[in-house]
Amino acid sequence: MSLQNIMENWSNYRRGAEEGGHHKYEHRWGMAINLDLCIGCNACSTACYAENNLAVVGKSRFAKGQAMHWLRVERYWDESQNKSSSVTPDYPEEGASFLPMMCQQCNSATCEPVCPVAATYHTPDGLNAQVYNRCIGSRYCSNNCPYRNRYFNFFSYYESSWPEPLNLQLNPDLTVRDKGVMEKCTFCVQRIRAAKDKAKMADRKVQDGEFTTACAQACPTGAIVFGDRLDETSKVAKLWQQHEVKLGVYKQHKQNPEKRGYRIFEELNVDPSVMYLERVRDTGI
Amino acid sequence: MEIAVNQYRVDYQRRGEIVRRLALAIMFVVAASLPVVGWSAAADPIPPVGTYDGIDVEQPIEFPHNVHVDVNKINCMYCHTYARRSKVAGIPPTSKCMGCHKIIATDKPRIQKLTEYWQKKQSPPWKKVHDLPDFVHFTHERHLKRFVFDRDYPVEDVKDICAFCHGQIKDMTVAHKVKPLNMGWCKSCHEANGGPGDCWKCHK
Repeated sequence: MSLQNIMENWSNYRRGAEEGGHHKYEHRWGMAINLDLCIGCNACSTACYAENNLAVVGKSRFAKGQAMHWLRVERYWDESQNKSSSVTPDYPEEGASFLPMMCQQCNSATCEPVCPVAATYHTPDGLNAQVYNRCIGSRYCSNNCPYRNRYFNFFSYYESSWPEPLNLQLNPDLTVRDKGVMEKCTFCVQRIRAAKDKAKMADRKVQDGEFTTACAQACPTGAIVFGDRLDETSKVAKLWQQHEVKLGVYKQHKQNPEKRGYRIFEELNVDPSVMYLERVRDTGI
Repeated sequence: MEIAVNQYRVDYQRRGEIVRRLALAIMFVVAASLPVVGWSAAADPIPPVGTYDGIDVEQPIEFPHNVHVDVNKINCMYCHTYARRSKVAGIPPTSKCMGCHKIIATDKPRIQKLTEYWQKKQSPPWKKVHDLPDFVHFTHERHLKRFVFDRDYPVEDVKDICAFCHGQIKDMTVAHKVKPLNMGWCKSCHEANGGPGDCWKCHK
């Protein structure tokens, strides 16, 4: 696995997901995000900050685009209905829709093959791993990510991010990243690891709903559903099936408007593990 | 043209037969190897190789592991009780020390020092000897399950399993780091015993 896998399967490494890839999967963690339920409250983002030791970079660095939000809530605005005014305000009063955007854990990820040191690779769990202590900070992965979901530590943010006694809130289950390291959403791999350890101690498989990611846990409307897509009885697998979203497909041919599922940038054939359910609109915009 | 087609058919049939025979052979091999695999899972572990001479870590009280383990035959997991059910083995609470030392060896200077801490309601500031970097996930419980409980290893001899990574603590007073605890060393054992090889299993 891991580095050995990359070395041995290099020629197959970019074999498209439509051909089944080349990985032997234990799990395939995935998500389904119902945009109709998303109210844009940013609880998911806040939960992510708390769970994953995300540094707070401050206003000026945020403006420069150095924010370390692994999960950001993107805002989109409907086109103004009022055609008489030619000027659209920056923040219209209505028509906002939200989209929680985190690492899509692509199954044929663009970030993986460009890493010169194999710090990012595909795990048998279907995740894009990011090994911090291996990362040399070349930032190729970030530049190759179509979603812009990788965040680079340009400074030692930890020095100012958690002044005493806030350092006590740090999660010991994952590293506090230092300068020069790339980081991104891991689907709360520390929780996955803990659940798998617990399951293995009891000689059983991980159950659906046994644990969830911090964002899904914090979502007040339950818009985010997390689970194992290999487990056909899981909530997330059922949602994928219900909305006819399949892995390894880079173009959806769906006529039925009831099937709202889509994956972002599916046409790039990166095979993301996150499915979004389109917002239902009554106005027909 | 027709001959060519027939030729193809014959070839196809023969190939089918070969495939069937191969499948049978593979099934047989797999079936034959199953008990071997089952046996190897419970097989005696091959300990990691390599030693290292760590620096002496000064402890608030010079705790004599040798007296407890070697002379009095106390199980490691009597004091380090969390080892079998959590990631960390744990330093016992002072109350556990006092459970015995209210009565035993109360005249010894070390015990008197301990009793002082106990009366002040403080725990001795023990220092960590076997410390892993923050980017490493290590769990004691999974290792104990694999090397002790899954192979019905006598629990009273658990110190020999602990010794894989901690050395012969029974011959030491305060613990001294005698194994490198670095990645190559961990990997030597993982490779020999079929432990996980995925980066993200241990790196966090």
